[in-house]
Order: sequence, then structure tokens, then C-alpha cells
Amino acid sequence: MAITGHLIEFSLAEIFQFLEQGHKTGLLTVFEQSESETPKNQVHYIWFKQGRIVAAANRSDHHGLVSLISHRGWLGDHAASRFAQQCGTKVPLGLYLKSQGILSAEQIKLLFYTQVMRRVCALFTLLDGWFHFDSKVTLPMDEMTGLSAPATEVTLAGLRVLKDWSALESKLPDPMSTIVSTIEGKPNLHLNSTEWQIWEYTNGNEMLLSIAKQLQLPIRKVQQIVFRLSVVGLIEDVPMVLSSAPANSQPSVFAEEADAIAPSLEFPTAAKPAKDKAAEPSQVSSSFLNNLMGFLKNKS
Amino acid sequence: MRLVVTGPVSAGKSTFIRSISEIEVVDTDRRATDETTLLKHKTTVAFDFGRLQFSPNMALHLYGTPGQSRFDFMWDILIRQAHAYILLVAAHRPQEFRYARRVLSFMRQRSPAPVLIGLTHTDQPDPWDAENILIALGYLNDNHPPVITVNPTQPESVAQSVMALIQHYCETQAGVTQPSLR
Repeated sequence: MAITGHLIEFSLAEIFQFLEQGHKTGLLTVFEQSESETPKNQVHYIWFKQGRIVAAANRSDHHGLVSLISHRGWLGDHAASRFAQQCGTKVPLGLYLKSQGILSAEQIKLLFYTQVMRRVCALFTLLDGWFHFDSKVTLPMDEMTGLSAPATEVTLAGLRVLKDWSALESKLPDPMSTIVSTIEGKPNLHLNSTEWQIWEYTNGNEMLLSIAKQLQLPIRKVQQIVFRLSVVGLIEDVPMVLSSAPANSQPSVFAEEADAIAPSLEFPTAAKPAKDKAAEPSQVSSSFLNNLMGFLKNKS
Repeated sequence: MRLVVTGPVSAGKSTFIRSISEIEVVDTDRRATDETTLLKHKTTVAFDFGRLQFSPNMALHLYGTPGQSRFDFMWDILIRQAHAYILLVAAHRPQEFRYARRVLSFMRQRSPAPVLIGLTHTDQPDPWDAENILIALGYLNDNHPPVITVNPTQPESVAQSVMALIQHYCETQAGVTQPSLR
């Protein structure tokens, strides 16, 4: 089935989170869309192996890495192409060149940074585009350095430098949310000092508004950091109840209406604390369940 | 017994309840006033209520959560008193997966009630499959709730999903005799 959509609906950060958490292997193609009168029609290709980014290019002829190598003057275009053919379908071109003593480990790292980190981070600035993930694609050894990066690491870097958050506005957590950790212990990712400060509040007790006030940060910035930490799988934002149930003396219109139509619900006289055991429903008898299942069986 | 039907806007919550209720569903739909208007002209502002009276003394009550993305006290009341709930997710609308994930977080924090994931709109263009939707909802291993495809417009399909939810409820209740699916 398709994994496809528009970035304005399913953002690049969410796609990366999905691909990493699902340990996906394949090719993510992003078709850039421009609002200008002359659309760029730029296409970006990002290859994943087991949820890690292994290569990226803005051309489909598998000549991107060769071009980067020759652009740096490390090999001529013709020679680099020849090595790309020699590396075959099993060994990444970067590793092959290293094994032949043509490129050093440092040069391979620099290539990976230019090819993947810089290029993919820049994609986070796209306001819209169309994406498609194909899990049946064979990984192109001639585009691969042999290095890889977790998609979340790239996301973290990309979102840190993002200036225009308008495309992600609807994805930001509610200021009334709290945050909880989704991992055991401390994060392995390198967080900056502000991210660490917010991480310290992952006890589910403080609303984002309150965190912003205590850290003297704009609420927008806190929401953006929480989103960032959330899509890299470190935390989860948990919505809080916006307003408490009205007191008996002044029931809301909805509570009155609800009480009239659904008498089995008990409406509290005031906001109940979280995890109120007394509010838990009683167990349903087995005879009730058996009768209900028999009834439904006849309807299905 | 109280079951809650929850999920993002336009996942099919109100339709689901209407399809199985034996009373006229109490409709609290109002004209939508926010971004919801892009999806539907009306949305549920309080909750939907439906009832399935299957014997003189026994009835199943179904509650649908408000459609708009605000978690107000009504959510709190509904989930705290639910025996089980079904999360409806439109399989062709990946933009709603994050909100669906937030719904799950909200529910989990407040109630241990068992949940069933109901995938709707699987006949629309470009639907995501169950495995990928589970990943998007944050279920990264085999330890996830049961998943069922449901067409909220078809009473038979809704009945089957309610049966699956009740079956799941039974399995999570220690010491309760499990009804068979005869």
C-alpha cells in the first residue's frame, strides 16, 4: 500500500520518525512545490536502510556522489565513474574507495556531511511538497558512502535551524499539554541546553505554559522544542483538560443536555483529580457480555 | 456497559454510533467554527449518545467524543466512565495520525480501559495499511491493541467491531468468564 502524501499534511519530521521507528528500507522521494509562478520542480531522493539515512541526492542518475567527489577535486569525473561501476551492488562506493586507499575516512565523513546532513536538513524549510516512499527499491551502492545517520538525528538538526514554522503550526502541541518521557533513562541524542531544560519537565505535571513561564521562554519556542523532542521519539505531549466540569450550582448547557440524554453518565460536581479510582467503572457481568455477544452476532 | 468511540474529526464516530444505535442518536452536532469546517460543516460539540437495548434489562451505551481538537471536561467524563473504547482512524488521512496519537496519550493517562483501533475509509485513494498506521500511532512492536477495519456506514461492520472490542475487554478482565463468539 502507498506511503504517500503532502508535506503540509504529514511533515518531513513525521515521515522521518515513521521511517526510523518502522526500521524502513527504501527510497523517499520528495517533489518540491514552489508557490512562485515558475515552479522549480526540484526532486530530492533520500535512501533509508533499517530506518537510517544512507544517502541523499537531487538527481536520479546515481551520479550524485561521483559528482560530489569530482567537484572536490579528489578524483576526475571519468575515474570516479569507473570506480562507481567497479564497486558493484554489494559495496558502497565510499567504502570501496577507502579500501582502495583512494579516499581517507575523514574525506568519507566530509562527503556524507555534504551529501546527507546538509542537503536533508535544508529540506525542512520546504513549506510544501509531495512525498512517496518506495520500499521495493534496491539501495544504490554508487550513491552511498558507507556511513549512515539515524533519521531522528537529521530531524533534530534540521528543526533546530528552522526559521519558518508556519507549515508545522497545526502540529505543535497545545500550550495546555504536559510532557512525559517515552524512553528509559536519559536521552542518547545530543541535546542543547534549552532542550535539556525542557527535558527536565517530563514528569507530566507541568503544562507547557507553565514551563515557558518558569524558563522565561516564549511559549512558541517551548512548543517547537517539544515538537522536536517528540518527533525524535524522546517525549510525548499529553493534552490536559481545557476546563473543569462546572459546579452543580451552575451546570453548563452541555452538561445539562448530556445529563438529560445519557443518564448513565455521572457528572462530577467539580474537576476530579487524575487517576481517580472512585471514578472507574464497575466490572460488567459475564451474563451481560454473553447476551450482548449473542445479540451482536445476529446483527453482524 | 459504556463504550466510547473516539478519534479525529471525520473519522466516522457519529456515523458509527448511528449505525448501531436502536434509538435515535442524540445529536449534538453544531456548525463548526474552526479548521474543522474544511472537513465538515457540522461537528459534534458535546458528544453523541446511542443505545443498544438487547434485553428488557440490559443495554449497551455508546458515547462519541467531541470532534474538535479540544480536550475539555466532557472528554474526561467520558473516558473515566468507559469500560472500553475504540479509536477510529481514517486510513487515508495521515495528517490526522499525530492527533490520533495524542488522543491515545490522553486516554492512557486517564484510564486503563482497553482500546481497539478501528481503521475507516480504507476504500479511499492512498490508504495506509494497518502495520504502518500502528507505527505512526507509536506502536513499535507486537504489543499493540487489536486492529480492525470498519465501515461506519454499515451496521454489520460496526457490530463486528463492537464484538471485537467486547472480546478484547473480556480478555483484559482477569477473573471474568469470557463469552464465546458463537
